Amino acid sequence: MADVPSRIEVRDLTLMYGHETVLDALSLPIPRGKVTVLAGPNGCGKSTLLRAIRRLHTGQKGQIFLDAVDIASLGAKELARQIGLLAQNPSAPPDMTVEELVRLGRYPHQAMLQPWSEKDGVAVNRAMAGTGVTGLKTRRIGSLSGGQLQRAWIAMVLAQETDVICLDEPVNHLDMAHQLDCLDLVSQLNREDGRTIVLVLHDLNLAARYADQLVFVHEGRVRALGQPEELMKPELLAEVFEVDAAIMTDPVHGRPICIPRGRARAAVQERA
Amino acid sequence: MSTLAIAAPAGRRLGISAIVLIILALFVLLVLAGIAFGSTWLPLEKVARVILGGGEKTEKLVVWQLRMPRVAAAGIAGAAIAFSGYLLQRITRNELASPGVLGVVDGAALGVVLFLAIFSNESNALTVPVAWQPLAAAIGALTAISLVFILSGRQSSSAIRLLLFGIAIAAVAKALTTVFMLVGPIYQAAQAARWLAGAVNAISWSEIQIMALCLVPTVIVAAWLAKDLPPADLDDVSSRSIGLNLPVYRIAVFFVAAVLTSIAVAFVGGVGFLGLIAPHLARLLVGRARFAGIVASCLLGAMMLIGADLLVRVAFTPLEVPAGTVTAIVGAPYFLFLLMRKDKTNG
Amino acid sequence: MASTLVMSEAQGWRFGRPQIYAGLVVLLALSMLMSLTLGYKIYSLDQVWMALFAHDGSETAVVIAGLRLPRALIAPLAGAALGMAGVMVQTLSRNRIASPDTLGLNAGASLAVVVASILLGVQSLAGLSLAAAFGAFVTAIVVFGVAASAGGLSPLKIVLVGVTFASLSHAFVEVLLTSNEAQLQQLLFWLSGAFVDRPIALFYNGLPVVVVGTVIGLSLSRALDALQADDSTAAGLGVPLAAVRGLAFVAVALLTGAAVSMAGPVAFVGLVVPHAARRLVGLRHIHQLPAAALFGAVYTTLADVAARFVIYPVEAPVGAITAVVGAIVLLVLLMRRAA
Repeated sequence: MADVPSRIEVRDLTLMYGHETVLDALSLPIPRGKVTVLAGPNGCGKSTLLRAIRRLHTGQKGQIFLDAVDIASLGAKELARQIGLLAQNPSAPPDMTVEELVRLGRYPHQAMLQPWSEKDGVAVNRAMAGTGVTGLKTRRIGSLSGGQLQRAWIAMVLAQETDVICLDEPVNHLDMAHQLDCLDLVSQLNREDGRTIVLVLHDLNLAARYADQLVFVHEGRVRALGQPEELMKPELLAEVFEVDAAIMTDPVHGRPICIPRGRARAAVQERA
Repeated sequence: MSTLAIAAPAGRRLGISAIVLIILALFVLLVLAGIAFGSTWLPLEKVARVILGGGEKTEKLVVWQLRMPRVAAAGIAGAAIAFSGYLLQRITRNELASPGVLGVVDGAALGVVLFLAIFSNESNALTVPVAWQPLAAAIGALTAISLVFILSGRQSSSAIRLLLFGIAIAAVAKALTTVFMLVGPIYQAAQAARWLAGAVNAISWSEIQIMALCLVPTVIVAAWLAKDLPPADLDDVSSRSIGLNLPVYRIAVFFVAAVLTSIAVAFVGGVGFLGLIAPHLARLLVGRARFAGIVASCLLGAMMLIGADLLVRVAFTPLEVPAGTVTAIVGAPYFLFLLMRKDKTNG
Repeated sequence: MASTLVMSEAQGWRFGRPQIYAGLVVLLALSMLMSLTLGYKIYSLDQVWMALFAHDGSETAVVIAGLRLPRALIAPLAGAALGMAGVMVQTLSRNRIASPDTLGLNAGASLAVVVASILLGVQSLAGLSLAAAFGAFVTAIVVFGVAASAGGLSPLKIVLVGVTFASLSHAFVEVLLTSNEAQLQQLLFWLSGAFVDRPIALFYNGLPVVVVGTVIGLSLSRALDALQADDSTAAGLGVPLAAVRGLAFVAVALLTGAAVSMAGPVAFVGLVVPHAARRLVGLRHIHQLPAAALFGAVYTTLADVAARFVIYPVEAPVGAITAVVGAIVLLVLLMRRAA
């Protein structure tokens, strides 16, 4: 990993909700042009971390460097032109059309009095084409299926034309086919355009399959990071996820997959 | 009573009885104060003497004809509205429910305004006996709550939907009330306006008699229905599985609650927030115990309206500020406070 | 599938925006003309022309210029202001049943007028107009603040908070008016929504306020577009949430305050108009706001004309008409949400 310079460098990030420490002096490099997947048990702070990278929390301490520039020095729109974010459960009025939604992605590129430019139109069309929603553009988002809706939202983020794209659990509530659809689209963006992707994923096997760099977040800290092969180890899974799992190699993609046998023994004993 | 025992362990039960007794004592004190205070101060021993049948002529007049009717009307109406609120909060399992929020008060008000508009003559007198007024109020209230039910459709078990439609129906009723007030001749409008804000100042013994007569059968039905409230805390399927037809039961409770409120509203006007706060305070004081909860709700509701009326008499005399404004000014912030407590409600 | 087909078809025969704007402008001109000509007495176009441009001092000219003209100007301006305020309130609360009424802003503005008049002794029209805007602003901040601290801005919560604030304001108004009946007659003017018997000075007071509110609203239009999505998404797009909300509140307060100061609380205009505007021109605020302004102007002007004939020869209060229409629309909206 050391040969790739970091696109984003998180340093000593701390965030408290009241007296509860959600992120605890967390540091993390995010390599350029790679897919980084944040994984961890419920409530470990992975979604919070993703939003903190986008500087969406007030009162977060520590620094986040984007190409060696502290993002605290960037304006809101400036930052939005660099890092896109798809929220976990994004919402918009159901009678908004797909095109209206995707156009929102151009917001950070527009000055107050600057009219809609050709460049904006091109970006919107490209985003819709790239996600296969061009045919749906006059449809209202309330009438879309779950998979179509998720693609429309990804198109909105794409229209932002950012080099870094963060997605917070983008495949929640999607069936298996649409999960693969969505993540294939994301990894295609990474391979073809060289964009830096940061994903929060719940499903470890999906995480291992799509990640170039896998990050285990545990109790507000980075417990481990590296290639999926390095992280998918029974001891580590027992510690972070409290599961007793067997690790095998996926015969199709050559990526590690885990098969949980049950809760980790230590955890069970602790509970008993 | 068995459910009371289940709800509260023996020690707590004793505590609840004590609390109810304390509330009762405060209630009696407030009633006496309501009679003693006014444009002239009447010492308590004189009040007691008049009530027990003695006293001078002027004292008798002041107590029996001027102050007692107000106190009695406020007490009875307050208790009825609070009982209604208690039933609604239990049956919707939502502490934000109340006769006001569910459109019952505004529906009843519309009924009365229509009644006044149709049956008044040029000399500002009713052409039919005032005894029909509660019927008009009840028709208005029942229409409103039926609409709330029908419009919320299949999901009428969802408290949130009921509340939203209640607010909407209340808005419709309010709009129509305004229309009839403005369209109707001015003499009725003035009369209706004062009544709408909720006031007990002009009430007579005969009106109180009618109110009480209407309330007695309603309260009996309500009390009989209330015995099934504990299983109604469950969801539709679970309660049916233990033998309660909850959808039907829910409708029955809603209608009885609507009638209770409408009778009170017919005589004392649209008193705001009583039905919301009295049951709520009662629950804070005595917990979920049913019998104690009902008694405490009624006593607290009565005390609130007697107290509000007492306050406007003492603070604003000779102006006739409606007692309803006091309950609104006290009740609205309390309601907001309830809304702001995050965990208890999930709007 | 069937329903989605119908939806896309429905969008197929939508008129272009230029035609829609042109149509609304024509309708507005027509309705203002109706407002000038129709009423207890019906005047001819010639008489109107003469009264406005060749005032000869005749009784007819005095009536038209002194009574008909103010309402033909104030009704559309107040309607436009309430329509735009409604659009912004609905976007800010992400709640299609929000409006200056359901959030208690009208009631807050009325209370501020009563307080300014009775307790502070303000008498000038400009001062009372300012008080109305201030009241609407404070109410907006408080209602949103309370609803937000009540754990999110769910439609039910925000409307419950608004309705509660409205009844609180009404109670205070009631107390203040009962304790000062001398002022009642003068203040009744501000407490019941109507366009009749308004001095033309109110129009000149309200116009600049409405213009400022409109400019703020339009300049925020792109940020408001993004605010239709959830907060995380909007923030992710670089929208400065707090600043945009604050400015939009100012705009809403100016618009609502101006409308209340000119016409009193005309009920539910801000609830109904945004729905029509979205139907006509879609969800982008650069179109939603102008369409709402035009449609709101047409709506209130026609309501004002209708009010003259509903119980002819007596004139009905226009607020009663908009209240009934608005309440029915509110019910329909709730039922559609149910489907």
